[in-house]
Amino acid sequence: MTEKEIISSGLLEGYVTGSISSEEIAEVEKAIDQFPEVKKEVEEIELALIKLSESAAGNISSTIWERISDAIFKVKTLPKAEHKSRSMSSVIGWAAAVICFLGLAWMLKQNNDLKRELRVTSTENVILKDKVNTNEIDLAEANNLLEVIRSQEYETISLPGNADVAPDAYATVYYNKDTKTAYIDANGLPTPPRGKVYQAWSLIMEPLTPSDIGLLSGFEDHKTRFFKLENIPSPEAFGITLEPEGGSKTPTLSQLYAIGTLGQ
Amino acid sequence: MSQPDDLIKEMQNGSQAAFAKIYESYHKAIYGAIIVIVKESSLAEEILQDVFVKAWNSCSSYKIGKGRFYTWLLAIARNASIDATRSKAFKNSNKNLHDENFVDIIKTHNSLSRQTEFIGVQKYIDALKPVCIELINLLYFNGYTQLETAEKLDTPLGTVKTRIRNCINDLRKMLLDN
Repeated sequence: MTEKEIISSGLLEGYVTGSISSEEIAEVEKAIDQFPEVKKEVEEIELALIKLSESAAGNISSTIWERISDAIFKVKTLPKAEHKSRSMSSVIGWAAAVICFLGLAWMLKQNNDLKRELRVTSTENVILKDKVNTNEIDLAEANNLLEVIRSQEYETISLPGNADVAPDAYATVYYNKDTKTAYIDANGLPTPPRGKVYQAWSLIMEPLTPSDIGLLSGFEDHKTRFFKLENIPSPEAFGITLEPEGGSKTPTLSQLYAIGTLGQ
Repeated sequence: MSQPDDLIKEMQNGSQAAFAKIYESYHKAIYGAIIVIVKESSLAEEILQDVFVKAWNSCSSYKIGKGRFYTWLLAIARNASIDATRSKAFKNSNKNLHDENFVDIIKTHNSLSRQTEFIGVQKYIDALKPVCIELINLLYFNGYTQLETAEKLDTPLGTVKTRIRNCINDLRKMLLDN
């Protein structure tokens, strides 16, 4: 478009009122850059419209600018220095109060946190002490057993598994003939089925005479599976059978799990 | 009017003083544009405040050379004013004022004040053709596009362009040639 064409097109009016398309805006801006007369025309159109608007405005409250600058810059106009210092000290006072309050809140929270931590730690302590006790007892027991096994007074008797009943089973008896005490290590025996219990026997071979020396009760829950048996008559052999709960008076030989003789 | 590009740049760089000068230059026209839409002065003052706060906060989005700064400001003012007229409270109030256009508002202000400039204005306003009042009302005050105006008035787009050109020419003669 030529300079005259664009001026008379109605686009410049649309440009100022914001009522033309973005393509048309681009066209007008090209013309503004090109022709100073077009720019002048735009400025005059704008001035006429501004004057028209201003005549509709009437009187405007003079406080509006203050309200705008308050909203934007957050600066109050302070007419007197006295006011300034008072407001400064009150600001400092409030700031101090806020900081103090925040400090208290923080300390209260810290205190609560520490109390909670202390409770948790105490509980953990009790649990740990208990564990230590149990471990000490276990250790004492283990040391005790170790002494038995090592000592000269105890004879070690292996009880291999009965090939017909439990070929993989085995047991070991540590026997002190002076104190008539025996420890049976039954860790090599399978866990007895429900309602059954292992029973230990001392045996005289000729003629075959079994004597009940005790039940290996509580087998499943026993930690070491070391059983201490006392008052054992002088035996030639030891045997272990599986019996109904409560034990039997005579061994069930078909359920003989392990057997071994002394002096081998 | 020639646009204060230097002040606009300073404002965009954060100058409060530049913003104050820009407010001084434009606030009256912007207020006039607002009150023509919302009619009521306390609401118009509230919107004027919001418009300039918004203008400050988003002034970096205005690009010098891409549209007039006044047009940019006017668009913010129109949107805020039209939004306000959609509120329930507004719809329930001043029902008899809703049909008024800028000529009625100018006349009202003129009758309320004895300032000579208004008396002059009224003389020119009375001379404005009814078709011009309608076009200026739609295109300038209510923010219709030329295309929307053509559709609303069932007039060819070319006619709308020619007529608004002539109407604003009349206005320029009335307002600027003295």
